[in-house]
Amino acid sequence: MKKTSLALIVIAGIFACFLPGQAQKPALEGYISLSGAWALYPMALKWQEEFQKIHPKVRIDVQAGGAGKGIADALNGAVDVGMVSRDIQKVEIDKGALPVAVTKDAVVPMISVKNPLLQDIQKKGLKRDQLIAIWITEQAKTWGELVGVKNDDPIRVFTRSDACGAAETWAAYLGKKQEDLKGVGIYGDPGLADAVRRAPLGVGYNNVGFAYDARTLKPVTGLAVLPIDINGNGTIDPDENFYVDRNQMTKAIAEGRYPSPPARNLFFVTKGKPQKAVLVEFIRWVLTEGQKYVPETGYINLSAEVLAEGLKAIGVK
Amino acid sequence: MRKFKDLAARRMMLVLTFIPGFIVLLMLFGLFGKARPILAVKPIASLLFSSVWSPLKGQFGLWPFIMGTLWVTFVALILAAPVSLFTAVYLSEYAPRWIREFMKPIIDLLAGIPSVVYGVWGLLLIVPLVSKVLAPLFGVYSSGYSILAAGIVLAIMIFPTIIHVSIEVFASISYQVREASYSLGATKYETVRHVVLRKGAQGFLASVVLGLSRAFGETMAVLMVVGNIPKAPKSVFDGAATLPTLIANNYGEMMTIPQYDSALMLSALVLLLVVLFFNVLARFILTRVERRAE
Repeated sequence: MKKTSLALIVIAGIFACFLPGQAQKPALEGYISLSGAWALYPMALKWQEEFQKIHPKVRIDVQAGGAGKGIADALNGAVDVGMVSRDIQKVEIDKGALPVAVTKDAVVPMISVKNPLLQDIQKKGLKRDQLIAIWITEQAKTWGELVGVKNDDPIRVFTRSDACGAAETWAAYLGKKQEDLKGVGIYGDPGLADAVRRAPLGVGYNNVGFAYDARTLKPVTGLAVLPIDINGNGTIDPDENFYVDRNQMTKAIAEGRYPSPPARNLFFVTKGKPQKAVLVEFIRWVLTEGQKYVPETGYINLSAEVLAEGLKAIGVK
Repeated sequence: MRKFKDLAARRMMLVLTFIPGFIVLLMLFGLFGKARPILAVKPIASLLFSSVWSPLKGQFGLWPFIMGTLWVTFVALILAAPVSLFTAVYLSEYAPRWIREFMKPIIDLLAGIPSVVYGVWGLLLIVPLVSKVLAPLFGVYSSGYSILAAGIVLAIMIFPTIIHVSIEVFASISYQVREASYSLGATKYETVRHVVLRKGAQGFLASVVLGLSRAFGETMAVLMVVGNIPKAPKSVFDGAATLPTLIANNYGEMMTIPQYDSALMLSALVLLLVVLFFNVLARFILTRVERRAE
């Protein structure tokens, strides 16, 4: 007798939970997975945080691993969104990739603060030909010959080992592809920053997000940005000198004073048009309300036209 | 009815037992199928022995990666085998029981540490060690990201495998053999050297081969310290790349560059075959040792 009445109470309780309450919109819920570029990782984390605040029932997972992993995972269906920090190739579009530009940032060349010629390098900068001589042809052997000073210290070149957007973008600036970049291959953006920091004669490249400290907005301790002599006149003019802190850097990228490449758009890639309601809503939010978090995270806002194109691509007005 | 349940249980367990073996076969066929496109276009010799790795230009020479894998594994073996041997001998012949019981879980703990943790540790400790201490000792320059760094990290990773199996091998040698040696007046050292080691040599070899197959396939830790340079190494202080790091690094580009995925599947197939071969070899030697001990 006791058992049956207990069972009845439990069943009644379960039914009570399903009773319609006041009329309200069903909360957005679901699961979204992202993986890919280190370049987009800090921004994606910020978006994940803010979106989950508004929609607490939605779970978003973000994984790094490089743009190559991002596009492979997206095309394989392993994740919903691939984060890609380089232009999408035609082969990838043929396989069903649908890119949506979500923000912009840049790759910057980096050296160690312990470089004996640090002052000269930062005053003169390096021209694009010299960068090609470092990473592609390996004709530049010593720091002295780069800056025109008597110095025999060899240049220790580093690059990225994983298939990634940063390397592809840097190589594009030098007119080649990632596989043509020479140097010791380090895994991951933070890894590369670390390797250059520990090698006084080292030179590498990083995404702006990993080159600058997020709190102090200055270059990460131990690293200095290698200025690019864009007009090729042999010194860094005041209007070429925007590497001092992240705000100046992002302003220069937004105004086009820093060349593109190595500045480039960052993309969310889905396989075909996104179908899941929660996914469509997330991307729509990123392209509209989410854009207000872009400058504070150290990235560059895209123009209204580009964002509108993105909304059209995913099928949202 | 009871008989039926008995038969059903037995058959089901038989099927389940064959599943892992079946999966290995599936992997082999799957990899071979995916590798066929490139095998159809290029002769296998040019793929295995060409030194040029330039996928966008259609060059898929796997030789630098095969060499890198061999060099790294060889260095790891040279470093790990003697140390493991002495440790195993000490623990099984000399150590008082409390030391043995204390060390065994610690050694097994080493086996449980994730690969990426070894990689980070290697980055922090071994890479600077190679670039600032070991390379200058020999008068050469090294960025630290080298075969030597990867070999050292790998050696520590395969210690537990070799030690564990070796201890079991030595334990399986019946005590009477040792007794016979002592009764002839031999010291402990002489017994160990001439009797235990001689009897345990085959088993020890098998344990080394097992460790070797683990070293071959180790990916993450090696990737972080080996330098990832697609050129066959000329010295242990050079950076290099291995078959596993090739696959892990470039898994992303697979989807887009034609024939790239095929080339990577081929290297995965080569790796799988090598590891299978060494595993089977080790098993074979070990079963012979065990059977003799009965």
